[in-house]
Amino acid sequence: MTLLLGALTIGLILSLLALGVFISFRIFSFPDITADGSVTLGASVTAILLVNGVHPLLATGAGFCAGMLAGALTGILHTRFKINGLLSGILVMTALYSVNLHVMGKSNLPLLSTRTLATEAEGLATFVLGGTTEIGVLGWEVSPRDAAVLILVFAAIVVAAGLLYAFFRTNLGTAMRATGNNDQMIRALGVNVGNMIVLGLAVSNGLIALAGSLLAQYQGFADVQMGIGMVVWGLASVIIGEALVGTQQLGLVIAGAVMGSVLFRLLIAIALRAGLNPNDLKLITAGFVFLALILPNLLGTLRRRRAEA
Amino acid sequence: MLEISGISKTFHSGTPNEVRALQQVDLSIEDGSFVVVIGTNGSGKSTLLNAVAGTFIVDTGTIHLAGHDVTHWPEHRRAQLIGRVFQNPFSGTAPDMSIAENLALAARRGQSRGLGWALRGDFRSVMSERVRCLGLGLESRIDNAIGTLSGGQRQALTLLMATWLRPQMLLLDEHTAALDPKSADQVVRLSREVIERDHLTAMMVTHSMQQAASLGDRLVMMHRGRIIHDFRGAEKRRLRPADLLARFEEVRRGEQLDESAAELLRRAYI
Repeated sequence: MTLLLGALTIGLILSLLALGVFISFRIFSFPDITADGSVTLGASVTAILLVNGVHPLLATGAGFCAGMLAGALTGILHTRFKINGLLSGILVMTALYSVNLHVMGKSNLPLLSTRTLATEAEGLATFVLGGTTEIGVLGWEVSPRDAAVLILVFAAIVVAAGLLYAFFRTNLGTAMRATGNNDQMIRALGVNVGNMIVLGLAVSNGLIALAGSLLAQYQGFADVQMGIGMVVWGLASVIIGEALVGTQQLGLVIAGAVMGSVLFRLLIAIALRAGLNPNDLKLITAGFVFLALILPNLLGTLRRRRAEA
Repeated sequence: MLEISGISKTFHSGTPNEVRALQQVDLSIEDGSFVVVIGTNGSGKSTLLNAVAGTFIVDTGTIHLAGHDVTHWPEHRRAQLIGRVFQNPFSGTAPDMSIAENLALAARRGQSRGLGWALRGDFRSVMSERVRCLGLGLESRIDNAIGTLSGGQRQALTLLMATWLRPQMLLLDEHTAALDPKSADQVVRLSREVIERDHLTAMMVTHSMQQAASLGDRLVMMHRGRIIHDFRGAEKRRLRPADLLARFEEVRRGEQLDESAAELLRRAYI
């Protein structure tokens, strides 16, 4: 049960990553590798502030803002200096590795005895439940801390996804979606496409950094390596989500990304439980994304062949 | 209204592919005038429209539009003055977004876009009314993605979007060239209607001699990056497709002597 709760919580936290990747990959068709760096950036900025006694909410907000800056930087490299999109992301991601080391001062920053959002949640649970050590959920015994963290993370994700959905229905957000859909058209309607990309990548990486920030607080440490391969994770979640909802409708796609992230995390937890070597995890993830990317084309070809035969 | 003076544009300058697309073009268009631009392939007619729209910045010369010197304005800034319909029906709309959302984007052409809702209730009713006026029966499909529509329907919507806010200048770039004859007629009819109803100043590039003869109150013929004929008023009204074809034939015959030979002859005999 603890394993399941953990997988659910991490899946929900990483759904912020999925939402960020959804913005860059799906809305802008921009292969934004900055994510690998901004996950760690969010984690490290939050961690160092927490260690120095800053309030967890403020520290988390700072992580979000740092991610926005990183994303904006990638956008500026791409739009103002005309650097290839993929390369802009790689440049910022590479630079962020050093930045993250400087922010934390070392490669791993533990948060064990620090006040974090997780300890706040635990405090809240103790306050509500009055010191019970185990609570029963559907016949399982779970620790109040795990339950409280899960509920708070769930609430936070609902709010974040709701805000994102609302944003994409405003004038600004609609223009942003149109920028990714048809930039020639939106330019002819008076939108500065460069600014839209910068803003979009800022929001995207802000969300991704927020995922890193929450993850660090949940697992109790920030590590300079924690961002590696995160883009592919996010992409896998988005793809699973699209398969789950099977539509282009905005609200459902956003909900799908969240569900995809949770499902993906659960699948991994199950696979690890069944004896999968953790070292193979990234290889399998990459293989999975590869399959998901080529499958639509492959199926189309097969169907055409069958139609011809 | 539009004042183009001495604009030139050379693409791929200094390479073997150098194209002198516009050479010292002057053109002045009065308020409410509907100018049709025709020309041979590569004559620079679309380039002229793109120069006005700001797709690129001209090498020399100036462009004034509605009292503004827009010569160095970027494309998105000029959009507050200009409505455009493109040749490719896929260019003018966002295919994955609904008709309603596309129209909402057009309703703020050239204006700031903040955090207000894009689709408000009152806007929806205005929208269905104006979509109904197109006579395409799209008012019941307003929440469908544009990608599900035909080329003709998209061009009609792009036209509606370009003129949703009255533009100082409407640019139509061979906007019926990619359509089947029936849709093309429909889009031409809609274009004529909106231009007459709103007294728009418009420029239209076309390949169709039929359209060139029947539409507009002025006709400009381009060749090799220059304006070679400019018909107005009664002269324009008398023009028939056959006359235009004759003019093109004239140009073609002139072409048969290549430029250096012409220069030689000129030196020898004049």
